[in-house]
Amino acid sequence: MKKQAFVFGYGKHGRTMARDLKENNFRLVIVESDEHNYAAAVEDGHLNTQLIDVTDDDALQKLSIDRDDKLICIMDDEHLNVFLTLSLRSLYPDITIYSISNSTDTAQKLKMAGASRIIDLYEVSAMKIHNILKKPVATKLLDSFLTNESEISFAEMFVCEDSGLVGERSSGIDFASHGILLVGIVEARNDEFVFATHGLDHSIGTGDILVVMGKNNDLRVFGEQLKCRSVS
Amino acid sequence: MKQLLIDIAFSLYNSPRYRGIKEFFDSILNDSRNSYKKYLDLMMIFFIISSIIILIYEVQNPIPEWLAYYDIYFISFLFLIEYLLRFWVSNDIHKLIVDEYQKSQFIGKRFRLRGPLKKGIKEKLSYMITPGAIIDILAILPAYRPLRILRFFVLFRVFKLLRYTKSLNQFVDVLANKRFELLTLLFMLFFVVSASGVAIYVLEEKVNPDITTLFDALYWALVTISTVGYGDISPVTVEGRTVSMAVIVSGMVMFSFATSVIVSAFSEKLDKLKERKAFDRIDPRKPLTIICGYGELCKMFMEYNEEELENYIILEKDPQRVKEATENGYNAIREDATSQDALRKYNGSYDNMVVLALVSNDIENIYITLNARSLSRKITIISRTSDKRLLNKYKLAGANHVIVPDDVANVMLMMAISHPTIYKASHAILTGKHMAVIDEIAARAGDHFVGKHLDDIHFKEQKLLLVGIEQNRTREFLFNPQENILIEEGDVLLVMGTHLNLEYFKEIYKVGN
Repeated sequence: MKKQAFVFGYGKHGRTMARDLKENNFRLVIVESDEHNYAAAVEDGHLNTQLIDVTDDDALQKLSIDRDDKLICIMDDEHLNVFLTLSLRSLYPDITIYSISNSTDTAQKLKMAGASRIIDLYEVSAMKIHNILKKPVATKLLDSFLTNESEISFAEMFVCEDSGLVGERSSGIDFASHGILLVGIVEARNDEFVFATHGLDHSIGTGDILVVMGKNNDLRVFGEQLKCRSVS
Repeated sequence: MKQLLIDIAFSLYNSPRYRGIKEFFDSILNDSRNSYKKYLDLMMIFFIISSIIILIYEVQNPIPEWLAYYDIYFISFLFLIEYLLRFWVSNDIHKLIVDEYQKSQFIGKRFRLRGPLKKGIKEKLSYMITPGAIIDILAILPAYRPLRILRFFVLFRVFKLLRYTKSLNQFVDVLANKRFELLTLLFMLFFVVSASGVAIYVLEEKVNPDITTLFDALYWALVTISTVGYGDISPVTVEGRTVSMAVIVSGMVMFSFATSVIVSAFSEKLDKLKERKAFDRIDPRKPLTIICGYGELCKMFMEYNEEELENYIILEKDPQRVKEATENGYNAIREDATSQDALRKYNGSYDNMVVLALVSNDIENIYITLNARSLSRKITIISRTSDKRLLNKYKLAGANHVIVPDDVANVMLMMAISHPTIYKASHAILTGKHMAVIDEIAARAGDHFVGKHLDDIHFKEQKLLLVGIEQNRTREFLFNPQENILIEEGDVLLVMGTHLNLEYFKEIYKVGN
């Protein structure tokens, strides 16, 4: 089943997000309240685009949003965006809402309105400048992951019941011989990310997610050995 | 003779040692950012004050001979040396000769020594008549014993004190700005004083016993107009008193006007004086970061870099924002970064200079980028743009990196949606918010791991994860490198681990960390 994403707002962020989500095989629903943007979305080939009044709770309810769907609130009007986030949170208490903010103030308000993950425009940009200056090699590497330019990338490996790794100690597995590096593990028990370098000897269990880094080829081979579909 | 001078000029020109020594003295005498200048200044101030104390003491008491020698010969000798040094560094005659010689060689003209020599001497002379230089030489004069009157010139040593505080220059600067107003006032003063002086002389010379010469009359006029009014000379006739009244009124007007001109000159200059302070806080020997534009992005950047960023300056056009930045404790000045000289002022070595063009206006940003690039190819320039279509223009203008905040946010959001774990991990290892961080360790000459194979360094035992190595030779990044790879000077190791482990690693292997 394809993952479904709702993009609220087809403005300056919406356009890029919609395109990227489509490339990442998301089933896309675009919601707009502005006719001009709505027309633009349809013109760009996003068939499932709806023109509704986002301040109207009934209209939002009719969108048939599922629990596992991703909601992305990136309306150009930031007041409307906060209002929408609040409405969506009150309608769907358990859902994941993503948003972009352009100031610390807005980020605060979005957080209070219930957004699960907020990307602060200037925070990430400032961080990027910082990283370019202080950690150029690492930044180049991580950037190449994002643009899919390099043959090296990150991957999340889901450990399922029948993969051979269950029950093994994380320090006992020779990842290097597979040509990959274990960066960390998300434990199924508490959903916490543990870095490999913490020195904890973790016993791998079903449902854990291994975050590994390696050449794409080696990653695919390793993923097949797990007899599991690589989540990435 | 001519050939000899040319030879000397060239050998001086080509001698790095001569240049080094001259630059050293120039910097220690004139560059307020030289950290040793402070000590030299303090020493000179001590000598000046001791000399003045001796002068005052000497008025009533006899002083021991050694003290007199100390005062007259030692201190004067020091001042003489200082004067000569200042004179020496004030310009470079040999450079003028070399330039002229090369120019005439180039166009095939006969070289004439006269021109550059004349120019050089003229420059030296014009240095000699600057107020500072005059004060310096007058302060040396008391060394000449036979003329007692020269002792009076010790007072110039007091003026010399001002030379060691920046305030004199600033005071002169401020007043120089109001030259027109002040000169007008001075002229008016001169006019009123001489007119009323002559008037009183003509009117009262016969009647008033106190006024016998024109000098008396002028003295009276000045004393009256300045509202000092000693009263030793006063007009006795009705005509004379009428003149007095006119003088008194015009004097009040003139002096209050002069006061207000000076006060307003200072209040106008106050910001500039403050800026000078921000400017002085920069250390030219350390890598400098120039941030253009104090906006949302700059604020965030400063928050991230608070501890690591020591040597920086923020340039901002808007005085309101400069005020805000200063209130937040940042080193900011009001300056339009697009102007030619704005960046040139900071010429230290451009090798380690970083310019961040973070203004929200693209046209200004491109201008800043061009500006910085025109100064040196070595400067690292990071620009911000709000329009992706301008990326090419920025690259053409010479930006090393271009940040599109909207794009960065979109990419991050996309990653957060499609790869939540990786988002969390990469976010954490780059920001170091959690325990594990990714760090770059550059191999420099003398570090203990240079020349070793990777398997000689037990990364795993140190709880570090070697992600890769960027080799200096090829500038290529090797991911998960083979164990037999040799670490060479200039390589960069990309290592992941906790702060503690990384610090420990650096302590063992790095030199002077």
